Amino acid sequence: MSIQAPQATEGTGNGTGTRRNAAPAQNFFSGRSELIVPALVLALALFLTWQTATMEVLGKSVPGPQFFPTIVCVLLYGVVIAHTIQIFRSPRGGAAAPAAEEKQYKTQSDWKTMGMVVAGVIGFILILPYAGWILSAAALFWVVARALGSKKALFDVSIALLFSCVIQLAFNAGLGLNLPAGFLEGLL
Amino acid sequence: MEQLNLLLEGFSNALTPMNLLWVLLGALLGTAVGVLPGLGSAMAVALLLPITFSLDPTAAFIMFAGVYYGGLFGDSTSGILLNTPGNSSAIASTFEGHRMARSGLAAKALATAAMGAFIGGLLATTVVVFFAPTLVKLATAFGPAEYFALAVFAFLAISSVVSDSIVKGLVALGIGLVLAMVGVDGPSGTIRYTLGLPQLFDGISIVVITVGLLALGEVLHIASRIHRDPEAVKIKPSGRPRLHRHDIKKALPAWLRGTAFGLPFGIIPAGGSEVPTFLAYGTEKRLAKRRGDIEFGQIGSIRGVAAPEAAGNATAGTAMGALLALGLPTSATAAIMIAAFQQYGMQPGPLLFERSGPMVWTLLASLFIGLVILLVMNMQFAVLWAKLLLVPRHYLYAGITVLSVLGVYAISAALLDLWILLGVGLVGFVMRRYEIPLAPVLIAVILGPLAETELRRALTVSEGDAGILVSSGITITLYSILALTLAFTAYKHVRASKKAKEDAELINA
Repeated sequence: MSIQAPQATEGTGNGTGTRRNAAPAQNFFSGRSELIVPALVLALALFLTWQTATMEVLGKSVPGPQFFPTIVCVLLYGVVIAHTIQIFRSPRGGAAAPAAEEKQYKTQSDWKTMGMVVAGVIGFILILPYAGWILSAAALFWVVARALGSKKALFDVSIALLFSCVIQLAFNAGLGLNLPAGFLEGLL
Repeated sequence: MEQLNLLLEGFSNALTPMNLLWVLLGALLGTAVGVLPGLGSAMAVALLLPITFSLDPTAAFIMFAGVYYGGLFGDSTSGILLNTPGNSSAIASTFEGHRMARSGLAAKALATAAMGAFIGGLLATTVVVFFAPTLVKLATAFGPAEYFALAVFAFLAISSVVSDSIVKGLVALGIGLVLAMVGVDGPSGTIRYTLGLPQLFDGISIVVITVGLLALGEVLHIASRIHRDPEAVKIKPSGRPRLHRHDIKKALPAWLRGTAFGLPFGIIPAGGSEVPTFLAYGTEKRLAKRRGDIEFGQIGSIRGVAAPEAAGNATAGTAMGALLALGLPTSATAAIMIAAFQQYGMQPGPLLFERSGPMVWTLLASLFIGLVILLVMNMQFAVLWAKLLLVPRHYLYAGITVLSVLGVYAISAALLDLWILLGVGLVGFVMRRYEIPLAPVLIAVILGPLAETELRRALTVSEGDAGILVSSGITITLYSILALTLAFTAYKHVRASKKAKEDAELINA
C-alpha cells in the first residue's frame, strides 16, 4: 500500500484529479502506461523484419520461408498503429470512470514482490547446475513463499525441502527421469 | 450404429483398474485446479505434459480428459463461496451462485452447479460420439486451401471474441505467430529467428510457452497483486449438497437451455466457454424478468447457476469433438491437448480416427466415466473441496513456481528453456496486466505452423494464384461465417463502447 499513497496526494493537487477524488495524477502518461505493449510489439516487429530481410534462404520454393513472416510483419505493424491510437483515444481509468473509483486500489503493480519472484527464478536457473535440484528448488520455493507474504521463515525451509525432495524421489524412482544432483551427487 | 460398437469397445478398454485410476487422478487434479482461483485445466495439462511423457499415450489422455472436465466442475466452487470465480468460465454462474450462498443456500448452489456441469458434459459428449464420424468424413475432403481457411477462421474468431477489443486479440495472435515461426522451416530447411542458437532449431517447445504464459505468468501477476487486493470473504457451506425434487424441476429446463447454448460454441473457435455461459445467464435473466421471478438478482436463483454451468461443460464437450475430428483447437485448454497429441507423435484430425481408433474411443469412453466420477466427487464432497481454499496462497504459488521450472526442465534438461520460460512468463504478466487475452497466443502457436504450410502448399499447387484460397464451397462458407462473426462482434463492441460513453456522460452530468 505504501507505493500508492504518494500517487493519491499528487492527484488531489491536480485540477482534474480532484473531481474524481481518488483518481491518480492526470499527467500525460497516467493511464497510458499501456503504451509499453505497442512498444514491445514494435520491437518484436522490427526484429522480425530485420531477421526476415537478412535470412539465408535455402531452396528455391515459391512461396519461400520469407513469405509467411512477411504477412505476420504487416499484421504486427498494423496492430501497433491501431493499438497506439486506441490507447491515446481512451486512456485507462478515464473512460470507465465508475469502475475506476471502485477499482482504484488495483491500478499500480507491486514491483517489489514481483521483483523478488523474478529474482528467485533467475537465481534458481543460475545455481541449478551447481547446487542440484533439491537445494535450488527448495530455495526457489522459499523465496516465492516469502515474497508472497509467508511469515514463518524456518517452517518454510522444512516445507520447501520436503517438497523438492518428494519431487526428486518421484522423478528418480517413479518416472526414471534424472534431475541434477549438483554437488550432493556422491551423497545421494 | 457403428459408433455404439466402437464406444462399447472403448468402454471395455477404459474400464480396466489402471485406466480407472488415471481417470480418478485426472478428475481429482482437475477439480483441485478448478477450485483454486486463477488456475485452470489448461495450466494443469501443461504442467502434466512433461511429467506424463513416460506414460503410454492412452493412460495420459485418459488422465487429461479427467483434468479437462474436472476444471469446469471445480471452477464454480470458489465462485459461489468466495465470489471469485476459479476461471473465466465460471464468472457467469458466480453472480447468482454467490447470491444463493449469501442467502444460506451455498450447498444447494454447489449441487446445482455440479449437476449442471454433468448434464452439459454428458449431452455434449453424446453428441460428439454420434457426430464425430460425420465431422471426420467432412474433414477428409479438406485440401490445403480449406485447412488454411480453417486456421484463419480460428485466428480471427478467437482474437475478436475473447477480448474487449479486437486489436488486443490481434496483438496476442501476432505474438503467438512469431513464437511459432522460430526454428528450422520444414519445407525449405531455412533456419529462422534462432539467433544462431542450435537449441532453438526445433523451435520453442509448446510446453515452455504454455507453462510460461499460464503458470509463471499467473504467479507473477499474483505477486504484483497479492499485497494489494483485499481478502475475499469466505462463506462456509453447511449441510450436504442435495437437490429436492422441486429444485430439480425448477433447474432442469435451465440445464437444458444452457446445454443448447454451449453445444455449438464448442466447434466455433471463440475461446472456450465465456461467451456461451454469458449468453445462457442473460437468457435466464430475461426469462426471470418475464416471469416476474423475484429470486433472480435478490436471494439468488437456482436457474441462474444451472444454465451457465451446463453451457460451460457442453462447450468443453463439443470442443473435444472439434479437437479430435478436425484438429481444430477452440480454446486454450484444447490447444494444450493438441500439443499433448503432438508430443506423442499424433496429429488430431481425420487421420487420428483411422490410425489410433481404439485410443480415441477409449478416450471418449473415459470422458463419460470421468463425468460420473466428477459428479459423485463434487456432489458428495463439495464441502471438502472448499477446504482447498484454506491452503495459504503463498505456499500454493510457491509450489506452482517450482512445478513450472520442473516441468520445463524435465522436457529437455536445457537451461536455455528455463530462460525462455522466464521471458515468456514476463510476457504473460504484461499481457495480464493490460488485459490482453492469452488464448490467441496458444491457438496461434498450435495452428501457426499448419497455416503457413497449408498456405504455401496451396499457392505452390496453384502456381501463385491466390484465387485457389477461395475456390471451393467449404472455403467460401468458412470465410462467410467468419465475416458474419466479425461483423457481429464489431457491432457488439461499438454498442458496448457507446453505452459506456453514455453512462460516463450520465455520471458527469
